[in-house]
Amino acid sequence: MALAQTIKEKANNALGVNPLDAKITKSYFIVTFLALLIGGYLGLIQGLNRAGVFELPSWLDYYQVLTAHGLLLVLVFSSFFTIGYFYAAMSNTLGGLLPKVRKMVWIGFSMKIVGFVIAVIPLIMGDANVMYTFYPPMAASTWYYVGLVFIVLGVWMAAFGAFIQVANWRKNHKGQHLPILSYFATGVFVLLFFGTLPVAIEVFMIIPWTLGWIETLNSMLARTLFWAFGHTLVNIWYLTAVSAWYVIVPKVIGGRRFSDVLTRVVVMVLVILNITGGFHHQIVDPAISEPVKFMHVFMSLSIGFPSLMTAYAMFAVFERTGRAKGAKGLFGFFKKLPWGDVRFLAPFIAMAAFIPAGAGGIVQTTYQLDQVIHNSLWVVGHFHLTLGMSVALTFFGISYWLIPHISGRVLTKKMNKVGVITTIIWTIGMSTMSIAMHLVGLLGSPRRTSYTTYGDNATALGWDPYLIFLAVGGTFLIVAVTMQAYNAFHLMFLAPKGEEEFPIAEEEENASKTPFWTERWSRIILIMLVVVAMAYVIPLVDFIGDPGSIPWRTW
Amino acid sequence: MMTQPIIGLITLLFMMIPPVAEIMESIMILHMHMQMPMIVIAGFLMAPFFTKRFPNFFSKWNQTGIPGMLLFIIVMSYWSIPRAMDDALTYPAVELFKFISLAFLVGVPLRDSWKKISNRWQNGVLIFFFLQFTGLGILYIAAPGQLCNNYIQSEQVTLGWGFLTIAIAILVYLVQLIFINPADYE
Repeated sequence: MALAQTIKEKANNALGVNPLDAKITKSYFIVTFLALLIGGYLGLIQGLNRAGVFELPSWLDYYQVLTAHGLLLVLVFSSFFTIGYFYAAMSNTLGGLLPKVRKMVWIGFSMKIVGFVIAVIPLIMGDANVMYTFYPPMAASTWYYVGLVFIVLGVWMAAFGAFIQVANWRKNHKGQHLPILSYFATGVFVLLFFGTLPVAIEVFMIIPWTLGWIETLNSMLARTLFWAFGHTLVNIWYLTAVSAWYVIVPKVIGGRRFSDVLTRVVVMVLVILNITGGFHHQIVDPAISEPVKFMHVFMSLSIGFPSLMTAYAMFAVFERTGRAKGAKGLFGFFKKLPWGDVRFLAPFIAMAAFIPAGAGGIVQTTYQLDQVIHNSLWVVGHFHLTLGMSVALTFFGISYWLIPHISGRVLTKKMNKVGVITTIIWTIGMSTMSIAMHLVGLLGSPRRTSYTTYGDNATALGWDPYLIFLAVGGTFLIVAVTMQAYNAFHLMFLAPKGEEEFPIAEEEENASKTPFWTERWSRIILIMLVVVAMAYVIPLVDFIGDPGSIPWRTW
Repeated sequence: MMTQPIIGLITLLFMMIPPVAEIMESIMILHMHMQMPMIVIAGFLMAPFFTKRFPNFFSKWNQTGIPGMLLFIIVMSYWSIPRAMDDALTYPAVELFKFISLAFLVGVPLRDSWKKISNRWQNGVLIFFFLQFTGLGILYIAAPGQLCNNYIQSEQVTLGWGFLTIAIAILVYLVQLIFINPADYE
């Protein structure tokens, strides 16, 4: 065993990254950072418009910009990064990708690009200003939905490729535990597949409806199917970020991983509980009875439990590593952390941001508290903290070693410094913007509306100072976005050649043996399906048969 | 390793608190698909306490796991009869019996027996419940009148769909067993 391991490590070191596998991740990352760049500028346009300092030209609609911003950053940026990162992880920890799997993930890549182009054309033409949630009865051009179908099919190709890769490894390594990063990958791809199922059903109902083949569509049913996907997507990025917190960060700070059992249980619990969390997005929707909403508060809050375990585990790792390096006192270990290393700094700020972000999420899950902030800018502030800080900064932190690793280049000291500065500017920008959004949301400013003073209403005018801060934050952010995209492409094509490590932390020396039940995915999926069935049956049975709506073009 | 039995006991007692029981029993599907499984899970968690305390009893009466499995199936099936739910809501003694039987005659034998029986029996049990849940689902959806005095018909239809969706989840699991052999991986 130990010998085989050494031989494998030596072979890996000698051969380096498989160039065919590296090309996959590189291509996914090129799309990721282009999406960040374009999506970022669209975000700035909105921020300036909301602050009342920039009027959109007549040929550009606020909601068009908003839809594109959401589509690029929520769907493209996050999912391309996730797939590129986990394929690099599987290539690294499972001894290279199978040729068949490579082919599948390439087909998936082209399907997503084709789908994206098909969806973007009606969007540019102004026929799809429905935002990334595309709630019926708002109806976009049929082509928009056809594009989404291709994107989902592309994601499924990537997911099935991952399943084949993992199954093949396990067949050749009977009785062994899947390497931890590939375990995270399995969890993420299981969620990507089962999470996109409901939205696929929704889109297949919408397409005949926009074509006029069926007259009406049940809006509540569509929204429910959407959020079964939407919330899962949120947790897919989160789980991707968490994988780096558990596995990569300990190595970067020179420590070891926290309990392997706990890590795997966190993945399992997130997979099982995730999809049903979508309900709290509909907590003020009509047609769902109060007892059902009450039950769902528990379903959603239960997702907070693994997050609390993660928070505990992370700080335990920091403390242990710091103490091993000779830290003294209660918080002395903080001084021993490598603050100047962007591979640590970015994910650390990401984790720290998740403390208020998670708390805000709990507010939104709680029926009574949510009444105050639902559909206000608070919610926008919340997901800019979660996606914009916790997830994005972790992704950026990963990019500083993964991009050079797959490109055969190194992260130089200078680039590291640029990375640290980028991270700080991003943090300043995102904090300013999201705090302003949270506060103005509490004062009642709605989300998803272009600039208006509501006929110079006093309350609406009172929002203006906060909205100016929103624009200031957005301006900082665009500087960081530009720098980050430059950094990514610099590390991919211009940085000096060399070898960059793929940092995977080891288990603790005295770690207890991980029980094998953590590897029984069929059982985990069965439990997940039963939980989903139990959660969705009451509202779905209530909705089905309700009268639907004809398609509306509201713009 | 006595944490599990303690969590199980706390869960059972929590489920028995009158306001908790009242909320869960106020909706038909929560009564059958949430309260009852939670009681079973509580018993499942408490099982190690009994199997360690009385090893002779379990090895004598449940050596092969099949008697325990039969007990599990019979009591589970009893509690899926509509009349049983009505009785539990009407007679406090039956309500008490529900908590005791589901915890100790379903949860405990399930934990003790599942590992003892062969794969074939395990799959047989899953097939049995797949068929039973499908049948019950059709019954609850298609029945022309109320099956329970305590619940209106629309709630009954919801419960029927609950049975069908769980049956589908079991079917998905059974179908993947045809294609994926766990022995290839372990």
